[in-house]
Amino acid sequence: MFSDYAALIVLLPVIAFVLTLFLGKKLYSGGALLPIAAIAGSFIISLGIFFEIYPGGMVQQSIPWFGNGISQMNMGILIDPLAIVMLMMVSFVSLLIHIYAVGYMSHDPAKPRYFAETSLFTAAMLSVILSDNILQFFISWEVVGLCSFLLIGFWYHKPSAAAAAKKAFLVTRIGDVLFLAGIVMLYVNLVEIINNPANAFKIEPGNFLLQFKTMFEAIPLIDKTQLTYITLLFFGGAVGKSGQFPLHGWLPDAMEGPTTVSALIHAATMVTAGVYLVARTFPMFFATPATIMTGVPDSLLIVAIFGGFTALFAATMGLVMNDIKRVLAYSTVSQLGYMMLALGTAGAVVGAQAVGISLFHLVSHAFFKALLFLCAGSVIHAVGTNDIREMGGLFNKMKITATTMLIAALALAGIGIPFINIGTAGFFSKDMIIEKSFEFGEKTGGWGWIFYGFAILAALLTSIYIFRLWFMAFTGKPRSERHSHESPNVMTVPLMILALFALFFGFSQTGFYGYLEKNFELMGVEIAVHEEAAQLPVIIILLPVIVGVLGFLISYAIYYKRMIDMSKIISSENPLYKLLLNRYYEPKIGADLIGVKLTHDVVAQSGEFVDRKIIDGLVIDSIIGNTIFKIGEIIRKLQTGVVQNYASITILGVALLLVLLKLKLGGV
Amino acid sequence: MSLNINFAMLAPEILLTVLAFVIIIMGLLISNKSKNMLGYLSAAGILASLVYVIGNGMTEKVSYFYDSLVVDPLSQVFKLIFLIVSLIAVIASIEYFKDNRNQDEYYALILMSTVGMMVVASANDLIALFVGFELASMSTYVLAGFEKNNPSSLEAALKYFIIGSLSSALMLFGMSLIYGITSTTNIPGIIEFFRSAPLMAESSLGVLAMIFLVAGFGFKMALVPFHMWAPDTYEGSPSVVSSLLAAGSKKMGFVAAFRVLVLALVAIRADVHFTFAILAIITMTYGNVVAVSQRSIKRMLAYSSIAQAGYIALAFVVTTPMSIAGGILLALGHALMKGGAFIAVAVVGYMVLSDNKNAKNIDDLENFAGLGKRAPITALGFFVFFLALAGIPPSAGFIGKLFLFYSITVQAISLSSSWLLLVVVIAILNSALSIYYYARVIKYMYVLPPKGERIKEPTAYVVAILIAVIGTIGIGLYPEPFINMAMNAAQVLGV
Repeated sequence: MFSDYAALIVLLPVIAFVLTLFLGKKLYSGGALLPIAAIAGSFIISLGIFFEIYPGGMVQQSIPWFGNGISQMNMGILIDPLAIVMLMMVSFVSLLIHIYAVGYMSHDPAKPRYFAETSLFTAAMLSVILSDNILQFFISWEVVGLCSFLLIGFWYHKPSAAAAAKKAFLVTRIGDVLFLAGIVMLYVNLVEIINNPANAFKIEPGNFLLQFKTMFEAIPLIDKTQLTYITLLFFGGAVGKSGQFPLHGWLPDAMEGPTTVSALIHAATMVTAGVYLVARTFPMFFATPATIMTGVPDSLLIVAIFGGFTALFAATMGLVMNDIKRVLAYSTVSQLGYMMLALGTAGAVVGAQAVGISLFHLVSHAFFKALLFLCAGSVIHAVGTNDIREMGGLFNKMKITATTMLIAALALAGIGIPFINIGTAGFFSKDMIIEKSFEFGEKTGGWGWIFYGFAILAALLTSIYIFRLWFMAFTGKPRSERHSHESPNVMTVPLMILALFALFFGFSQTGFYGYLEKNFELMGVEIAVHEEAAQLPVIIILLPVIVGVLGFLISYAIYYKRMIDMSKIISSENPLYKLLLNRYYEPKIGADLIGVKLTHDVVAQSGEFVDRKIIDGLVIDSIIGNTIFKIGEIIRKLQTGVVQNYASITILGVALLLVLLKLKLGGV
Repeated sequence: MSLNINFAMLAPEILLTVLAFVIIIMGLLISNKSKNMLGYLSAAGILASLVYVIGNGMTEKVSYFYDSLVVDPLSQVFKLIFLIVSLIAVIASIEYFKDNRNQDEYYALILMSTVGMMVVASANDLIALFVGFELASMSTYVLAGFEKNNPSSLEAALKYFIIGSLSSALMLFGMSLIYGITSTTNIPGIIEFFRSAPLMAESSLGVLAMIFLVAGFGFKMALVPFHMWAPDTYEGSPSVVSSLLAAGSKKMGFVAAFRVLVLALVAIRADVHFTFAILAIITMTYGNVVAVSQRSIKRMLAYSSIAQAGYIALAFVVTTPMSIAGGILLALGHALMKGGAFIAVAVVGYMVLSDNKNAKNIDDLENFAGLGKRAPITALGFFVFFLALAGIPPSAGFIGKLFLFYSITVQAISLSSSWLLLVVVIAILNSALSIYYYARVIKYMYVLPPKGERIKEPTAYVVAILIAVIGTIGIGLYPEPFINMAMNAAQVLGV
């Protein structure tokens, strides 16, 4: 019954967007209730569909859209285990963030615009998730990008916000272009396959060209090299959207928007879209040819390399940031790296299970990252600054925020008790990824161990930076005069709900993996799984927790007990510190060198020179422009206003026509 | 043919004719004050007629009165155009001619001219065609001079009348020659005759007859060199009437040409397409080039209208179903864009006159400064119409031009004819040129500072403009049904 209304999952927030935009001013709290009700509706429908299709069903609905013949495109809905899990998570987290925003944005005059845009943002993300074809996926993906631009630049009067919005838009655009190129290439390949009679590949009635189903069916027929290019181009899109190295720079800058927007971008919508894209098209990645030496599909290897490197790379920067939201932003980049790493390494080791492993971390990360951001928002709301150096001693003033944030931090650090399997969400989801990287190392040997190195080192750094943040913000002596207070209930209740999930979501691990494992079988795709009951050494199982606790202890020693004087390390003399604080000079290289120097100064300026001086100046102005103007003036004089002249011209015209036709007909 | 024929298909025309007489009689009976209601009555009548036409839809061919009138997809499409244009014009007139004591005559004339155009759309006989032409022309001669106290309106009407009569005479002469050759006035009969005796069609007499017809239709279409009246008349007439002339009565020339000339062109095997290509190119280039140097917006619109006629005339250059469909689409789009644009000029006139009662040169470009702030809906209307006229998607203007240019390109490639390609290139360059004078007005509207306070735009104008805006963009966003309609209509001609 719920599945009949699947389209409403997207449509409700879209309707809320339109209504809030136009009527929001007149409604309570800038019309916040409309998106909240709409997204609650989406959540309920998603939940209903989940219970309908669990454990082995799926929803497919599709209508033709445009085009004809084999190029008939469609709009449709595909809700398989992968999609339903994401749908529930996105609508639920987005719902909590919207409720929280009623309190957080209460002083902002532009509330209707805010709630309208976040509603559209959520709608676009939901549409990404339930698209049954890559074209609709891409369009929704672009709408997500547009909304992120609008929301990051929500306070557009601040130059830094406007700049950050632009950066986010432009950097993700690089990924989008790659993604689009991948779609075009896929389209060309599919059309070729269908047109080649030797393949006997047909699209059944009711199915369409760019549907995921058709794509997966065609995998064996696509040229293997082409398939690698296509998947890598798709991955390019994912790199842009999910803030992976080297397109990660926009994500920390995107903190310029309201904190609730950051929470939305980092937890529920937008950045997870990239991971979702790779998970969605996983069979294609899996089918790419393998390098003989490793036996790992090429594209998966690339995904693992980028993901693993990003996980570590971003974590190092998280160590030194002083802006509370920036720390969390780098944490997001790093965790997204884990998710990519999971798809790559676990994909090579256990095949289709990798999607479950990655998605499980995605969902649990969504809970604790949303919680972290909302806690940060609560803190910022209270103390009025983003700088953790100016906070401190907030624990007694904001008990709920402090406790829930501690829970989130524990989850992010992956603290839990191995062997009896009790722990936070992150304990279950992240440790599994680290273990799979170990198995990957065992499988490939040699340099394959590097992924395990990335993962375990990043885990240590993660634990250090997140507890550094917590200790600096909530313990010690207050470092500012401001009178801080706990946030209102409308903000703390979502915190507590999310905290429950951050604590207990991990226990659904077995069920979750089992449910998602069958995802691609439902679509008729066989993915060979090498199921070898891996016997991991005890130390490998313990190590993630050990480094997590170690990180906690290091931060405890440095930032709580102050056993080590950090002033020597934190100085502009220390080249390593400088490197990290300047974010590996990424803004300099990305914005100044590539953006300003290369693109603007060289390419754009020379283009402008050609356009203005040569084309406009020489061609348009002097030759075409003047001539046309002069001719216009001359002909205007023909229009004498004397009616006799008009009549003569008419007759003259008849005569001329006669001559012309006579000439053509050869004079009869 | 029995007498108990079913007149359902002609109900739109009958309805409007009866309404015109009712309005004249009512005008005698009711007080001057209550004459304002006549506008609403006419609008309701036209709307009812429009609903009727849409309800009849793309019907099979039905003929009436010994085959002198037919109702087929081609006539239906053009009736749709004429009715939409007069609906827009009448709605705007409710405001423009408010409290005028001659409103009864005005609305009766508008209805009669609409009926005339609809008869032309349906005409399947030269006599019916001529009667429809004259009915529409006579009514519009009077309408053009309806502002009796305004000398330029009178001048406009007089010039229109003189050149119009000359053209009618030429057209009638052409018709009589054709009757002389074929001894029938029935259009399919004429085509049949020319097909079986192509030499007759290519004889001096046949060619002369065709040229006279081209001159007659060309006058309505405002093709160069039969266009001279158009700028003066469009400028001098009341804006609402200019809207009717440019958007509606101009299309009458096209539908007549589609019915008669296209078939004649097919019958005459010689390469007369070249002649039409030259006519079309001269017309569009002339219109665009002269429009560049205009400061009166109504004159600019007049020249742009001439240029658009040039684009539509491209349909005759290749006479494939696709090119005719493109011509019909652009005619439909142009009716909305140009009709709306002239109404929007009326708002500017209203604005200027409310600033200063004795203002001259009401439609001067200077008065458009800051229009975006003073009259936002009107400015938005202009913005949409101008971009659409320049052929920028998503708009009706874009779809029409796309179809026309594409059809010629296809033909050029299949015939591997370089001059056809050249025609397309010139047409596209013309489109680019036209952006200059449209964009200039947009700059005035949105960049320059306003010269006065924001005005309250009268509801009637706003409604009329919005209808045109929605139509213009609607066709651009969802062209499929309109393309089907135009293709249907083009197939009637059986080219």
